[in-house]
Amino acid sequence: MLKLWKVNAKTGDATVKYPFAPLETNKDMRGKPEHNAEMCIACGACAVACPPDAIHMDSDLAVDSITWSLNYGRCIFCGRCEEACPMGAIKLTEEFELAVMSKDDLMSKSVYTLAHCSVCGEPFAAAKEVDYAARLLEAAGGIEAKEAARVAGVCTDCKRELDAERAAAQVRTANTTHLGLAAPKAEGRVYLGGHGLNPLAAGEGSDDAKEAR
Amino acid sequence: MLEEKDQKVYARRGESHVEALRAAVSGAIEKVEWQCEDQLTVTVATDKLPEAVHFLYYKRDGWLPVIVGNDERSLCGRYAAYYVLSMEGEDPCWLQVRIEIDPAALTFPSVTPFVPACVWGERELRDMFGLIPEGLPDRRRLVLPDDWPSGLYPLRKDAMDYRFRPAPVEDVENYTFLADTQGKDTTVVPLGPLHITSDEPGHFRLFVEGENIVDADYRMFYVHRGMEKVAESRLNYDAVSFLADRVCGICGCAHSVAYAESVEKAQGIHVPARAQYIRAILLETERLHSHLLNIGLASHYTGFDSGFQQFFRVREKAMDLAEKLSGHRKTYGINVVGGVRRDILSEQRLATISVIEELRRDVKELVDVLLSTPNFITRTSGIGLLDRQIARDFSPVGPTVRGSGFARDARYDHPFAGYADPDVQKIPVATADTCDAFGRTAVRIQEVYNSIDMIQTMLENCPAGPILTTDWEYTPHRYAIGATEAPRGDDVHWTMLGDNQKCYRWRAKAATYSNWPVLRYMFRGNTVGDAALIVGSLDPCYSCTDRVTVTNVATKRDYELTDGRIESLWFDKSPLEGPGAPAAPFDEEAL
Repeated sequence: MLKLWKVNAKTGDATVKYPFAPLETNKDMRGKPEHNAEMCIACGACAVACPPDAIHMDSDLAVDSITWSLNYGRCIFCGRCEEACPMGAIKLTEEFELAVMSKDDLMSKSVYTLAHCSVCGEPFAAAKEVDYAARLLEAAGGIEAKEAARVAGVCTDCKRELDAERAAAQVRTANTTHLGLAAPKAEGRVYLGGHGLNPLAAGEGSDDAKEAR
Repeated sequence: MLEEKDQKVYARRGESHVEALRAAVSGAIEKVEWQCEDQLTVTVATDKLPEAVHFLYYKRDGWLPVIVGNDERSLCGRYAAYYVLSMEGEDPCWLQVRIEIDPAALTFPSVTPFVPACVWGERELRDMFGLIPEGLPDRRRLVLPDDWPSGLYPLRKDAMDYRFRPAPVEDVENYTFLADTQGKDTTVVPLGPLHITSDEPGHFRLFVEGENIVDADYRMFYVHRGMEKVAESRLNYDAVSFLADRVCGICGCAHSVAYAESVEKAQGIHVPARAQYIRAILLETERLHSHLLNIGLASHYTGFDSGFQQFFRVREKAMDLAEKLSGHRKTYGINVVGGVRRDILSEQRLATISVIEELRRDVKELVDVLLSTPNFITRTSGIGLLDRQIARDFSPVGPTVRGSGFARDARYDHPFAGYADPDVQKIPVATADTCDAFGRTAVRIQEVYNSIDMIQTMLENCPAGPILTTDWEYTPHRYAIGATEAPRGDDVHWTMLGDNQKCYRWRAKAATYSNWPVLRYMFRGNTVGDAALIVGSLDPCYSCTDRVTVTNVATKRDYELTDGRIESLWFDKSPLEGPGAPAAPFDEEAL
């Protein structure tokens, strides 16, 4: 019993004055994530990384906008968003007092404008992201980057179609010039093979090709 | 002859068990596969299952932490069950006995009559997959609530969406509490279902005669969160380590490491050494705060509340240390598949060393106070005895089994993370042979000191280098076990990744899952007043409720007693009332 009294006397006050005085926080702690709407390019990497789906990207085509939102009620303060962000636009802070009177106050939102594809006209990404990608590519320099920057405003589907057409055109040229084969009679766009031998051409009666098959 | 046998060298870990099984149970083995260096799966003929598990369990020093069911109809056309055995004698390894179950018949022979440790696992197989263990004596549900529709098996791949909430089919709880009352007329004292300090609510019924507990039964899983289903349907495999962090409010890091390890072992990922040490350091930090919590509660249960408050004060230092190293007091969020997310910098390393030195001093001081408090030792000695044979039969884990003299500890039996360090292995396993509540507390006290030593050793030996690797190929449908020693015993995770970047099956076994089945035997022979202490000595903590239920054992009918009724009974049945009034037992008609 005496021992316990000694411990008690030595310890003194074990409690702190919080909430009547501010609580000292640890600089390494993972607290409330803060979003810098100006730095954010609305790429959605954080929304993909977020384990509890606290971060959402919702587009509204009627008003051409995409909304970044973070629900602090769902957030688990893991910091995956901070790791995923290419812009450093989201950072965990030491703030921990998140209690609110209304649930809606737990939402943080930023609205961005959508960019439209220069080929098909459909909206496909946030304008800021497209703009950032184009500027980044231009700054990178080199022919390939320049070429990529030129089509930065084209949506993925259209890009894929353009790529396919270009690849098909190249194959057509390669078949006729380098391999000495007859030019395929069918359109390049339906070309399916990948090894320089056009299956459609083979199907059309060249004896050699038949034997090869 | 014996010497010759000892000298036989096997090419792979676990091969000696396979050979012994082949010799002992003829024609049982269908296929043997290794998942990683120290893990293998032996597929056996379904009808040989009980014999095979019994042989490995009792004749080859096997212990059974978990049984994993898996709907493999899309892979091999059948269901599969994996009886995971931790082989802890010679040739230590993880050995899984696998059977395939015909989806038309859905039955397999129960192992429980031969190895009692299988009882919860087999009941869960029936609840979650509708696989029927033939010969299992206990036909009650384990996991599913009483009002869950029959015929809906949540973990079958084609059963339900994870968000589906079936309408309740029952209005009343119809779970039967069973007891072996040896013909005695007993009164039932309920504990639960809600307790103020526990991890998971549970409902206990103590069958008492006077003050003495004759038998006890309990019902758990009131807060089953369906995490395994969520992980399989909604989360990508790399987010599951954060969900695993939240399996438990105390030992979340142990679950998270176990999950990461299971994926890493299945996929053959070599985690950088530094990451392994950082994981182990955080696991020991977790153990420090968890054990200090339990020692504090042990003081509380024995009426030493000043000690309780002092231990919680000192525990704060371990919590602050966790925050310094991980960013949070709990749910460290440090693990991802392939390594850890946060390094221990030199500044943090120095802070850690100073905190653990402070802790060593403070804990020693408080333990001296605790052990010199006259009623602590007398109050806990001889209470809640866990018989060694019961322990052997049911495979309990952690300080619960170590308090009964078994040196079972995943850190030593199957070294993982940073524990393979030879200097860490030199620190002895803490055990006690008193088999009682005091022994379990003594083990925890020793483990606090061991944890401090381990953190110090690992900080010294931690190699420099990367903390995360991404150099691996994703291969679907490979599976393995990840096991960690959480403060309460081993957490065993079983993971098979699917072809969609998600878990095909994730089975997370928490330490206490293995400890509940033995609790019944620990209650027997003690008094009602000891019940909270005994449950507390397992490490979950419960208080008593203010309701009393009287059960007639013959008819199994319950009556709830309100305060007024207790009062009137007190007067009606008082032996002081008149010459004819019986003292006990209460009879139904009087109610």
